[in-house]
Order: sequence, then structure tokens, then C-alpha cells
Amino acid sequence: MKSSNRLLGFRHLLIAGSLAAASLSTPAFAAKDVVLAVASTFTTLDPYDANDTLSMAVAKSFYQGLYGFDKDLKLGPVLAESHTVSKDGLTYTIKLKSGIKFHDGTAFDAAAVKANFDRVTNPDNKLKRYTMFNRIAKTEVVDAHTVKFTLKEPFSPFINVLAHPSGVIISPAALQKYGKDIAFNPVGTGPFVFQEWKQTDYVKVKKFDGYWKTGLPKVDSLTWKPVVDNNTRATVMQTGEASFAFSMPFEQAEQLKQNPKVDVIAGPSIIARYLSMNTKQKPFDNVKVRQAINYAINKEALAKVAFSGYAVPAEGVVPAGVEYAEKFGAWPYDPAKAKQLLAEAGYPNGFETTLWSAYNHSTAQKVIQFAQQQLAQVGIKAQIQALEAGQRVERVESQPNPDTAPVRMYYIGWSSSTGEADWALRPLLASEAFPPKLLNTAYYKNELVDTNIAKALNTTDAAEKEKLYKAAQKQIWEDAPWAFLVTEKLLYARAKNLSGIYVMPDGSFNYDDIDVK
Amino acid sequence: MLNYVLKRLLGLIPTLLIVAVLVFLFVHLLPGDPARLAAGPEADEATVQLVRQDLGLDKPLHIQFVTYFGNALQGEFGKSLRTKRPVSQEIAERFLPTFWLTLASMGWSVLFGMGIGIVSAVWRNRWPDRLGMTLAVSGISFPAFALGMLFMQVFSVQLGWLPSMGADSWKHYILPSLTLGAAVAAVMARFTRASFVEIMQEDFVRTARAKGVSEPVVVLKHCLRNAMIPVVTMMGLQFGFLLGGSIVVEVVYNWPGMGRLLVDAVDMRDYPIIQAEVLLFSLEFILINLIVDVLYAVINPTIHYK
Repeated sequence: MKSSNRLLGFRHLLIAGSLAAASLSTPAFAAKDVVLAVASTFTTLDPYDANDTLSMAVAKSFYQGLYGFDKDLKLGPVLAESHTVSKDGLTYTIKLKSGIKFHDGTAFDAAAVKANFDRVTNPDNKLKRYTMFNRIAKTEVVDAHTVKFTLKEPFSPFINVLAHPSGVIISPAALQKYGKDIAFNPVGTGPFVFQEWKQTDYVKVKKFDGYWKTGLPKVDSLTWKPVVDNNTRATVMQTGEASFAFSMPFEQAEQLKQNPKVDVIAGPSIIARYLSMNTKQKPFDNVKVRQAINYAINKEALAKVAFSGYAVPAEGVVPAGVEYAEKFGAWPYDPAKAKQLLAEAGYPNGFETTLWSAYNHSTAQKVIQFAQQQLAQVGIKAQIQALEAGQRVERVESQPNPDTAPVRMYYIGWSSSTGEADWALRPLLASEAFPPKLLNTAYYKNELVDTNIAKALNTTDAAEKEKLYKAAQKQIWEDAPWAFLVTEKLLYARAKNLSGIYVMPDGSFNYDDIDVK
Repeated sequence: MLNYVLKRLLGLIPTLLIVAVLVFLFVHLLPGDPARLAAGPEADEATVQLVRQDLGLDKPLHIQFVTYFGNALQGEFGKSLRTKRPVSQEIAERFLPTFWLTLASMGWSVLFGMGIGIVSAVWRNRWPDRLGMTLAVSGISFPAFALGMLFMQVFSVQLGWLPSMGADSWKHYILPSLTLGAAVAAVMARFTRASFVEIMQEDFVRTARAKGVSEPVVVLKHCLRNAMIPVVTMMGLQFGFLLGGSIVVEVVYNWPGMGRLLVDAVDMRDYPIIQAEVLLFSLEFILINLIVDVLYAVINPTIHYK
């Protein structure tokens, strides 16, 4: 009660403060300049060499791909017009839109597409996205506006890969001119022209007058500003120094909602949060133990306690929103059943184990503490530890031998950046993906799952794929190599006078229609 | 005097060498493979290998060491693993914002710290002293990040007077430098007071008063100069502390300085940046100490260096 009274008083002060700040910091109304606060520093402006969603999201200001995702993660053509796939799934022929120009005046055509994919598939260029595109055997120019990709092996999510924010088309003239320095001099076909990257402070882009979508963009410039500290990011929204901020700490949401100039938006995400259990080791080799742990954790309560309500219990292996995701309904909370299963498995008094978290931020700390308490209720004593990035790499990600890997229970998350089931399953649950190759930290191996994942890659028939993925997900859900916890929501703040910018379910941004009132 | 300074500057070299070796070893002993960290969580092993080659981390440790030192001697500290830009450039861009911030907070803390210290000493054990020392103790005990958030809440959010992030104008300097300087001002106040109280009981002060010199002159002319020696020592040490302490403040105020760079670098295991920054911090500490020693002689002409 007391705190809510204080908040009321606070609110008035906040309103007064933000009005004053807005009147101080609003520049001449004519120029529509938007400042966007983001959570970390950009690593590079070359999407082919970026591994963080943020850098690629910012690069969308000036780069576009052949395909792309809209704000709801629906796939659609951008620079491409249409495509056809050969029967064997090996050749993709793509028709390109015509009349599009790069910022430097170069025409966008098939040769430009070829130059980009030849660049990334050449291992000598050592680009971080090499493995994403290395299934391309060759890229050929059929005519000025038709390009043909030949793959080394059938790979059904190929169009999804082209839609990935790293698969952009850079001006071939700029590639020639800048070489490795293209990361500092981006030239694309996007709505904004790169203006300045002040490494310490911001990336600034300005409106591209020759943009091929007439009438867009509606604002004159964007300034992307990394604001690392959570509280500061919330503060700059209140003072009006920024009109968009992502991500917002859950703890700040309530306070920020009181501000009349700011909308706090909780969007859906495809970020799955789970506890993987090392199925190679006792007692997690027993499926009953793994199921018991799923029964033992109250996911509703977890979403409330650790995520301040900005999460929903996981309803399947792959979160809804990812193509071919299968919904099974949240795993029920039933500690009695958990105890019974533990007894059947031969652990009537529980056991001791370790629970690590892949992150050490406060939300993750809360999650593992909550899980620890819930597990204690059914007799499992878990020692918890939140790993710092370096420790995580050493103890989990670079362990050379699957049989001696020290990881037991491990809290981590994943979002499928291609928006497709393959990248949500293969890196995490296929037996080819044991660390250090990829992130199958449960060391889960199942024949059916392995074959279905492999088969689905080879088929271009959507119905067939759906069947294969459905069976694989069902098997995984029953085998429970993970405790399926929650699907996170993405929390961001947007000034009320700003429209047309969204955080997409994969944590990237969509701002084709960004506008200021 | 000049000889002394030169000798001290020569003495810098072995110290810096030792620091460089320690930093190189220490950084490489941290857990976690930098290539994997740089490649990101989605990367598979082939990508990690590519990144490792790209960053030159596939070579044996002793070769990396030799390369590192060879380059360092030429003033080249390699390229940042994260941005692939030369380390010297990364640091150069961030040096001045941090330096000005430090200087500004030093200004505040000298002003406030000595002011409070002198007032407290003159009105010893009376209410100005109590008030001053209460402030000082609060200043020491209040962590910088909390003070920063408080200032931001009051002056940026509620009153809307001052900006809360960036370093574009003089207005941007006010809050961060006050935040950063608070703890130092507090320490300074306590030091000045202690030193002043002692001096005020000296014979020459009594003599001055007996001669009928007015009290302000006694305090500001006779006492202050003599009380300065320990205060200046303290200032030097605190200046180094400020340069380091700015890490927290820079993160809170989104300051484009070296502190934030260091935090980012540690997060990403950006070895070249960490090495160069730590080396630079050590160099700063040593230089400041040298300046302090020289200042002694300026303040008190009876001190000679040979």
C-alpha cells in the first residue's frame, strides 16, 4: 500500500519531468529525426560477418536481402520477385525485381547477387556467416534479372536462409572499392543511406531519396545509440532523449507505463527457455527422472517470479511462431507425480546435482534460484551457478568429449534465426550437434529425431516436412531431454508519437514504415 | 630537478614491461576461448576455426607473445577482435572523453572536498563540522552507480534540466562528473580536515595570530599551504582512482569513454583492447605519481630532489 502511494506521487513528478525534458530536447519539428536506444554495442555493419541479432537489425537500415521477414516473422520476397525449385531440391531459380538502384547508383541485378554469394561462400574471406551459406555450390547469372543457385545437397529451408538478416545484397561496386572495409562503408538498396558510424556513440543513417518503394521512408534520419545500462535505457525514454528502446528490463515496465508519452509493448517471441539435462549421465539417463523434473517445476509461477509475467509456459519443443512448430500444451505442474516418477526410477529420496545457467544476468539468476527451490520440493538438491561468458565457453561449449562433459542441468535459451524448425531442432537436439560442434547440451540422441531432421532438409514438399517435424517433436516431448520452461516475451518501449517500428519475435527490428507524428 | 624527472621516467620502462608481461599472461589464462566467444552462440565448430585463424589465435602462445611485444614496441597494439579496428584508434577516440570527465570531477572534488575540509577544521566539533563530516561519510559510502541513478532520476527525469546520456556538450558533463567526484570529494574533505586541524595547532599559527594577522589570512595563507602536502598526495592517488572508477559511471551515463570500452572488451574477451587499456592505466598511475612528487617541491620549497 505504502509503495503504491509513493508511486502515485512519483507519477506526477515523472509527468512534469518528461514534459519539461521534451520541450527542452525537441528540435525543429520539420526534420523527422529518430533516436533509437539499443542494449549493446554493434559489432560490425557487415551482416555477413555479424553474429549478433542487433548488428544485423541495424544493418537493415541500409541493406535488404532477396527475401525477408515481416514484423510477425512471415517470410516474403523483398528484392526477389519469385522463385522456382527443381524437383531434386538442388537448384533454385530466382527472378529479381527490376529498376532498383544501390545508394551509389549501381543497378541491382543478377551479377550483384552473384558477387555477394561468391564472397560469402569463399572460405578465404573468413566471414562469420560462412557456414550458413556454404551449401551453395555455385551462383550463376541466367540473365540480368534471373539468378540460379545450385546447392551441394538438398536443403529445404534455403529460402529461409536467404531471408535471414545476414543474407543481404551489398553493392558490388562498393565491395570492389572497399574490400574488407565494407563493414565501415555499407552501401545497399535499403531505405536509408549510411551516414556515420561513430564507434563510441552511434550509427546514423539518413533518408535515401532514390528508394525503390515510393513514399518511404517517412522519416529523415535514424540514430542508433547503444545504451548498455538497463536503467539508463529506461531513463532516456522518460526524458525523451530516445523514442524507442529495446530491450526494457521487466522491473522497469510498471514505472515506465505511467509515463503518458511512452508505450510499453510486450511482443511475442520465439525465444525458448529450457533446462537441458545431460542424458549421458546418471540419473538423467532415465526418462522418468527427466519427466519428473518437468512435473516438478511450476512454469506459471516461474513466468511470474522470474519474468515479471512477461513469459508464457512453453507449449512445445519449438515455440509457436517458428515454421512447423508443434503445440502440445504446457507440461502440467504436479509434484506428487514427480515424486512418484522419481521413486519408480529408483530415486525415492531424490539426488544431488548441479544446475548451471548460461547467463549471469538477474533474470537468469532468478530462474535458477526458483528452479532450485522447486526441485528441492521433490527431493532433488541442485547446486546452482550462473556462468560468466568465459566460463560458459570453457565448461560447456568447448568440451571435446561428450562422455566426460561436466554439464548436468543447464539453463539456456534459443531462438531460431531462420524462423524455421530446422534451426530450432538441429543445433540443439540432433546427435551431430554435441558440443563443441553446436549446442546439444542434453547430449540427446534419438534415431527417429536424427533421421527426421535429416530427411526434412532434403524434401521440398511442405506437407511431408510437416509430418517429419511433427513426429520428431513428439518424440522429443516424450523423451523430455529438457525441462521445457517458458517462451519469453520481448519488452520494448516506444514513444507514443512514433509508429511503424516493431521488435520481431526473433529479437530483430522491423521498421519499414517508421514514422513520427 | 630535471635529472630526477628523467631518472624517474627511465624507471618507468621496467615497470611497464613487467605489467605488460603480467597482463598478457593473465588475459590468456582467463577461462573461455576467445574465438568461440567472438564467433557467437550460434556458430558451429567450422566457423569457430575460421574465426580463430582470422584473429591469429591459432598460433602457439609464445609466438603470439613475441608478435605482441614486437608490435607493442612500435606502438601498435594489434586489432580489436570485436571491431577489427586498430586498438590505438579505438582507445584514442575514447581517451579524451574519459580524460575530461576525470578532470571535471577532480575539479569538483577539490573544490568541495577542500572547502568542506577547511570549514570543518575551522569550526571543529561544531555544527558545520558535523554537517560536513556527515556529508563526507555519506559520499564515501554511497556507491557511484546508485548515486548516478539517483541524480538521473532527479535532474533528468523529474526536473528535466540535464541530459542523461552522451558527452556532446558541457551540460552532459555535470551529472557524470558530480557522480564520479563524490567519493573523492569525501575522502579529500576528511584528509584536508585532519591535516588542517594539526597545522592549526602549530606554533607559527599561534605566532601569526599573536601578530594580529586576521583570521582569514591565517587560515588561507599560513595554514592552507602547509596543510596541502598530504592533500596533494591524496589527490594524485585519487586521480588514478577516478580514471579507473569512471568505469561504473561511464556505463551508467552511457559515456563514450575508456571505461565502457573496457567493460565491452572484457565481455567479449577482446584481448588486445584489455591489454592496451590496462597498460595505459598503469602508465597513467605512474605518471600521476611523478607529477605529485614534483608538486611537493612546488608547494614546499624546502623539499629537494637529487
